[in-house]
Amino acid sequence: MIPALEVRGLGYRLPGKGKWESGDGRFLVRDVTFTVGAGETLVLLGRSGSGKTTTLKLINRLLEPTSGEVQVAGERAADLPVTRLRRRIGYVIQEVGLFPHFTVERNVGLVPQLDGWPPARIDARVRELLTLVGLDPDTFARRYPHELSGGQRQRVGVARALAADPPLLLLDEPFGALDPITRVELQREFAALKGRLGKGMVFVTHDVREGLLLGTRIGLMLEGRLAFLGTQDEFRRSEHPEVRKFMEAA
Amino acid sequence: MSLWAFYARNSQEVLGLVGQHLYLVAISTGAAIVIGVPLGVLLTRRPRWRGPVLGVANVFQTVPSLALFGFLIPLPFIGGIGATTAIVALVLYALLPIIRNTYEGVAGVDPAVREAARGMGMTDRQLLTQVELPLGFGVILAGVRVATVVSVGTATIAAAIGAGGLGVYIFRGVAVVDDTLILAGALPAALMALGADALLGVAERRFAWRAP
Amino acid sequence: MTRGRWLCTAALILTGCGHRDRIVVGSKNFTESDLLGEIVAQQIERRTELPVERRFHLGGTFVCHQAITSGQIDLYVEYTGTAYTAVLKQAPVADRDSVYRTVARDYAQRFGLVWGKPFGFNNAFAITVRRRDAARHGLRRISDLARLAPGWKAGFGYEFLERADGFRGLASVYGLRFAAPPTAMDLGLTYRALAEGKVDVIAGNSTDGQIQALDLVVLEDDRHYFPPYEAAPVIRQATITRHSGVAVALAQLAGKISDAEMRRLNALADVEHRDIATIARDWLRATVP
Repeated sequence: MIPALEVRGLGYRLPGKGKWESGDGRFLVRDVTFTVGAGETLVLLGRSGSGKTTTLKLINRLLEPTSGEVQVAGERAADLPVTRLRRRIGYVIQEVGLFPHFTVERNVGLVPQLDGWPPARIDARVRELLTLVGLDPDTFARRYPHELSGGQRQRVGVARALAADPPLLLLDEPFGALDPITRVELQREFAALKGRLGKGMVFVTHDVREGLLLGTRIGLMLEGRLAFLGTQDEFRRSEHPEVRKFMEAA
Repeated sequence: MSLWAFYARNSQEVLGLVGQHLYLVAISTGAAIVIGVPLGVLLTRRPRWRGPVLGVANVFQTVPSLALFGFLIPLPFIGGIGATTAIVALVLYALLPIIRNTYEGVAGVDPAVREAARGMGMTDRQLLTQVELPLGFGVILAGVRVATVVSVGTATIAAAIGAGGLGVYIFRGVAVVDDTLILAGALPAALMALGADALLGVAERRFAWRAP
Repeated sequence: MTRGRWLCTAALILTGCGHRDRIVVGSKNFTESDLLGEIVAQQIERRTELPVERRFHLGGTFVCHQAITSGQIDLYVEYTGTAYTAVLKQAPVADRDSVYRTVARDYAQRFGLVWGKPFGFNNAFAITVRRRDAARHGLRRISDLARLAPGWKAGFGYEFLERADGFRGLASVYGLRFAAPPTAMDLGLTYRALAEGKVDVIAGNSTDGQIQALDLVVLEDDRHYFPPYEAAPVIRQATITRHSGVAVALAQLAGKISDAEMRRLNALADVEHRDIATIARDWLRATVP
């Protein structure tokens, strides 16, 4: 089986003091290597500034890697036109970013529409996905984002990411902006849901408990490098100082 | 003579001048939109050009209108006495509000929306036409509104260089110190400005998007 | 008196004093008027001890007339024909002396304004066309225009359009029917518009410096539609009474400027762009030593 995602020696270095820019040339991400199989969820854990969000953006080329290689479902990311790459990757962010001038169904059906699916197929798919994320299509399809609660919006965000049935999903602290009760609710539902989807996922979070709940494997990032990569059990038993710190905070 | 008697007596001339005035404002605002909106969008893609472009547009705004007409008259093609020069000047005046508001409208889109759109694989053009322009439309309209209202007022001065419009009555009235004549030109111009402001204000409110 | 009243009274006295000892000279909004105003102002300065305040380029005839009757200016140069038709609203006549006598008498009676002696030139409205058009169509007189008018465009300044001795009367007396209403613009721009071909006929001034410079031709007023326009200083009676030296100074200018001389001075300003104060000073030194 082709892995959903293969990352080798991935790196991102800020521009140094050159003709046009004045940077410090430091590495935000350095020498990161991991594989995510279909149906696997890799949780990227780490404190703020550790490079986990940057790593995510290097995968769908919102930032261009300065070194290393990314393969999505067997295709080299650098070789694909960037929009085609991104349409094969579901992307869920903390602020959700729903289009305020689109209805829920138009939001969810965005990538299928960009890919030119026939309208009937888009409709069916939207209804299917809304049901999947726990939103009754008849109630919610025609609503606008400003009419939804935070939790409902993020459900739509997840549905949107799944719309074109991508092999890989990238999620950047998707439940971070929600109140604690809604957050727990969505975590549980998402945990149940992803088992049925069979997709590769990279899930960024700084919340250890969330990570332990959702991750098949855990990757702990520290100062741009992968300080630890292993299963949940390995994580719990690890002696690495950074891992210890996180386990204490859990 | 009362104002109404004047209008009744000269109805054809009045309508002619109103038409000329509308022509000056419509053509110049239209041209300013055609030039200014793409420029404003370009500024969101090339941030380094923002300072120079907005700076130049700002300079035109600060030049007093009669002076601008005066500068343009000697130029070939776009100069000379008449409506052409007036329209060029009016376009230059309308550029700043339109460029700046287009920039603000497009750049002011919620960064999360933009990140989600790009992350999902929208091309730059799709992002512009499906997200940024529709969401920024209200702000762009606000710029068009300002430009139009200013144009109606500035166009009255165009009569000094032979461009016609309601300013003709105002200048004639000033020449012979006749209040009725002055009012005959000033009143419709003011009404036109108020009308444009109200109409475009309604349109603007319709297109303003409430943030979720 | 309260302190407030003291201050007001003091202010009134001071400004009153100031005004008594100062002559305010105005002029209309074209070059020749500014030039004559400057000549008059400098003449008063060199022959009397009075300071002169200049308020030039005020506006048209009617603005100046309002200014002088309300006391905001003491003196400006007016033209007899203009006063006759536009201010006194009389139908134009051709006799120079009778026009002068009438305006002098009526201005004194109705407005308390005194007319000085004319400078010596006649600045009539000049119906002007391009020389090549005059040659091609054999135009010498305004009557010759009637057959060309339907295909031609006219351009006039705002005052000419509004005045009784302006466009309306001209069109009716000479039977001029233009295809479209004349284009209206600032008077100064009409020469340019004519030279550039934007319009085909304008109403300039017969002493303008630009007529020769732009290769233009003035058509003869064969039906004597326009009255004579002799330029002379008009001054408030109160000012003359209070400062007799002013009348003496102005009298020295009477009859000193011919048509040709006025045209020369106008050309120095309009065509060669020389400074008006300098032109006035040089002329005074040479002509009224």
